[in-house]
Amino acid sequence: MSLLSLEQVSVAYDNRLILEDFNLSLAKGQLLSLLGPSGCGKTTTLRLIAGFLNAEAGAFMFGGKDYTKVPVEKRNFGFVFQSYALFPHLSVFDNVAFGLRLRKLKEAEVKKRVTRMLEIVSLGGFEKRLPAALSGGQRQRVAIARALVIEPDLLLFDEPLSNLDANLRVNMRVEIRRIQQELGITTVYVSHDQEECFSISDQVAVMNNGKIEQLDKPSAIFKYPASEFVARFIGFGNFIAFDGRNDMGSDIELSRGALKFQAAKRPEGLGNTGLLGAIRPDDLQLFGEPGAAGIDGNTLPGTVQISTYLGRSYQYQVETELGVFTVNQEMEQPFVQGQRVTVYFPKEKLVLVQ
Amino acid sequence: MKEGNRVLSLYTLLVFIFLLGPLVIISITSFEPGTVLKFPPEGFSLKWYRNIFEVSAFMDTFKTSIIISLLGNLLALLLGVPAAYALSRYRFRGRDTLNAIFLSPVLIPGIVLGFTLLRYLIVVYGLPIVAGLLIGHTVIMLPFIIRVIASSLENFDFAVEEAAQSLGASRLYTFFKIVLPNIRSGILAAILIAFLESFNNVDISVFMTGPGISTLPIQMLTYVQNYFDPTIAAISVILMVLTAALMFVIERLMGFAYFTKR
Amino acid sequence: MNKKALYLLLPGLLFLAAFMLVPITLTIASTFVQDGKLTLEGYLHFFRDGYFNRILLTTLRVSVVTTLVCMLLGYPAAYYISRASARKKSILLALSIFPLLTSPVVRSFSWMIILGKKGLINSFLVNIGLIDKPLDILYTPVAMMIGLVHLFLPLIIITLLGVMENLDHELVRAARSLGASPFAAFRKITFPLTVPGLIIGGILVFVGSLTAYTTPALLGGKERVVSTFLYQNAMTLNDWQAASVIAVIMIVITFVVVGLMNAWANRLNPKG
Repeated sequence: MSLLSLEQVSVAYDNRLILEDFNLSLAKGQLLSLLGPSGCGKTTTLRLIAGFLNAEAGAFMFGGKDYTKVPVEKRNFGFVFQSYALFPHLSVFDNVAFGLRLRKLKEAEVKKRVTRMLEIVSLGGFEKRLPAALSGGQRQRVAIARALVIEPDLLLFDEPLSNLDANLRVNMRVEIRRIQQELGITTVYVSHDQEECFSISDQVAVMNNGKIEQLDKPSAIFKYPASEFVARFIGFGNFIAFDGRNDMGSDIELSRGALKFQAAKRPEGLGNTGLLGAIRPDDLQLFGEPGAAGIDGNTLPGTVQISTYLGRSYQYQVETELGVFTVNQEMEQPFVQGQRVTVYFPKEKLVLVQ
Repeated sequence: MKEGNRVLSLYTLLVFIFLLGPLVIISITSFEPGTVLKFPPEGFSLKWYRNIFEVSAFMDTFKTSIIISLLGNLLALLLGVPAAYALSRYRFRGRDTLNAIFLSPVLIPGIVLGFTLLRYLIVVYGLPIVAGLLIGHTVIMLPFIIRVIASSLENFDFAVEEAAQSLGASRLYTFFKIVLPNIRSGILAAILIAFLESFNNVDISVFMTGPGISTLPIQMLTYVQNYFDPTIAAISVILMVLTAALMFVIERLMGFAYFTKR
Repeated sequence: MNKKALYLLLPGLLFLAAFMLVPITLTIASTFVQDGKLTLEGYLHFFRDGYFNRILLTTLRVSVVTTLVCMLLGYPAAYYISRASARKKSILLALSIFPLLTSPVVRSFSWMIILGKKGLINSFLVNIGLIDKPLDILYTPVAMMIGLVHLFLPLIIITLLGVMENLDHELVRAARSLGASPFAAFRKITFPLTVPGLIIGGILVFVGSLTAYTTPALLGGKERVVSTFLYQNAMTLNDWQAASVIAVIMIVITFVVVGLMNAWANRLNPKG
C-alpha cells in the first residue's frame, strides 16, 4: 500500500505545463529522491506535494485521503528549503518552536520537545542564537529540526545541501539519512546531484521534461539506465548506435555494419530493449597493442587525441571509426598523443538503452 | 594627479558651500533682533521664534499639515503595503505596468496633479477641501511608500513565508508574525520619507486652500509674499532641525542606499 | 493574472484610478472640446498668443540652463564623493540628502535673503564700492535659475553617485594596467560608463525645473513660467480651460522628454 500517490496530475506555471498526467507513488517509511537537471519538474513536483502549488488536473492522495485541495498549513508536512528559510528575527529556539506553538502546545511541552530535537541535530546550547549568527551547516540543522519537531506525516527536502561546501555536504547527507531512518519518516528529497540522491535513497526517480524516465533502486539505475537520457545524466559518456541485434542465451549479439559486438543481458525485470549501447568512461579499457591478454572481440582500434590528468587516473579522448570515446584509466606510463591503441568494451559493462 | 585631486576637492567644497551656505545664512538671520531680515544680523534675539507661536495662522496650519501628513500616511500605508507586497511577492504578466502605474504620481508634474484634483475632486466630485487635501497627499505619498517597502522586501526571502505556512501558519498570521517584523525598519523609513514628502508639499496644497484650511508651507509662501521679517527664517530653522532629525532616523533604519538607488 | 496579487493591488489601483487617472484623463479630454464640439482651438489659441509662447520659452531656457549647470556642478562633485574615503563619503552623502529632504519653501526663501535688493550680495557689492545702486537679481529669470540649480543639484549628485558606486573599480585598474594614464582611464572608461547616469540625472533636473512651482513663485516675481502661469489661470483668472490646456502641454512635454532621454540613455548604456 502506498502512503502517497500523485494520480494524473498536471501543473501549469505562466500558462506553461510543467507536469502533465504525472504519476508517482511512495510507500510508508521510504526515502524517495527526485533527480534531474534544472527545469525537469522535480521541484514543481515537490512543491505540489507540499501544497505551495495547485494542480490543474489530477489528484494527490495521502494516507488514503484526497489532499488535492488541502491548504499548506493543514497538511502537517515538514519542508526543508534550499535557502533554509529560517525566520531571521527569531532565535534558534523560537524557530524550532514556531510550529509547536501554532499547535497550541503547553509552553513546558514546547520546551521539552524543542530541546530534545536540538539535541538530535546536535545543536544543544544554541537556543538563544539568531540565524545570522550560525554557520551554513548549523542553519541547515535548525531547518531540519524545525521541520521534524512538528512530527510531520511527510518530510520534504528541496536541494537542502546545495549551499554547503563539499565536505559538509557529505556529512549532512549521512546525518539526514540517519535521522530519517531513526524516526522512520517518509521522505521526498529533491536534488540535481546524483551521488547525493543515490547515497541516501531507497528509491530514485530520474526526471526529464516533466516525466519520470526511470524509477528504481539506486543500484539498479546506476548499473542499468533505462533510457539514453538517464544514461547520460548518470555518467555514461560513450554511446554506440547499433543497427542490428540478435539475442542468444545470456548474451546479445550486436552489429554496426560489418562490426560485431557482444553485450550481456540485463537481469530479469530491468528491461532489455533498445539498440543504443552505452558505457562509462571508467569501464572502457585501453591497450597499447592489438590482441593483448587474451581479449578477442568487443574491441576497436583507435588513436589517442588528447590526454588529460585527473589525479587518480588519466582521461583520454580516443578517435575510432565509430567516433570519439572518452576513457578513464589508471596507469603509471600514460599513452601519448597520436599513439595507436585498442579500445576494449567489456560485454557486462556495455548496456543497451532506449 | 595630486594637483588634479586638489582642484577637484576645492571644486567639491565650493559646490557644497553653494548647497549649504544659504541654509546656514537663513539660520543666522533668524536671530535678527530688528524687523527686517539682514545678513549679518544686528544682534541676537529669539523674538521671531516667539512670534511663530503668537501668530495663530502658523500654529493652525502647522497642525493641519501634521494631521494631513499623518492621516494620509496611514491611508497610503493601508493601500501601499498590500500593493508593495503583491508586486514583490508575485510574478505575473502586467506586473511592470502595474508597478509603473503605482509609481506614476511622481512622474506627473505636481502642479498639474494639484490642479486636476481641484477641478475634479472639489468641483466635480464635490468633496470638501479637507478631503481633497487628504486624498491628494495620499496620492503623492503612495509611490514613496511602495518604493521603499518594495525595496526592503527585495531582501526578504519569501521561502521564509512558505516555511511558516508549512509549519501550520495561515497567510494572515504569516504576514503579521513573519513578514512584517522583518520589514519593520523599511516600513518605518517609508513612513518618514513619505511624511517629509507630504509635509513639505506645495504643489498639491496650493490648490487646496479654503476658509481656515491651509498647510504650513502654503502659509509660509503667502507670508513671504507680504512680509519680509525674520519669522520665516525662524520657522525654516525649526523645519531644518526636524528634517535633520528624521533624516538621522531614516539613516539608522535603512542607510542612505535607498536614495542613491534608481 | 494571479488572483491573490489582484486582490492586494485592487484597493490601491482603484484609489489611483479615481483620484488620479480619471481626473487627469478628463482634464486632457476637456481641452479638445469647446461648446460641445471636438476642436484643437484651445491649443491653437495658446500658440498664436505671443504671451504664452514667451512664457514657454522662458521656462525652457531656464530649465535648459539649470540642467547644464547642475550637470557641470554635480558631476565632478559626485565623482569626488564616489572616490572619497568611507567616512568622508557618508558625511558628504548626508550633506547632499539633507537639502533634498528640506522644504523647497525654505530653500527658495534662503535665496531671497541672498539675492534681494538689501540682500547679501548687493550689500556686499555696495559696501566694497563696486556698484552704487543695488542690482536687480531677485525676481528675474537668473534668480529662478539659481534657485532651481540649488533645488535640483542634490538630486543629480545623488543619482550620479548611485551610478558611480556601481562602477567596477577593477575596470579602471585594468585600463591602468594596460597603460592608460589616470586621465585617459577616466576619459575612456569612467566617463562613458557614467554618461547614462548623467542623462538620467539630467532628465530629472530638466523635468523638475520645467514643472517646479515654489521656486519660480518665490524668486520669479512677475516673471512667469508655465507652472506659475497655470496657477494664475486656475486660481486668479478662473480660466479653467486655459489652465487645463497648460496642464496638458506640461504633461506632454514631460512625457516626451522623459521618453526620448530614457531611450537615449538606454542606447548609450554600453551594458545594453
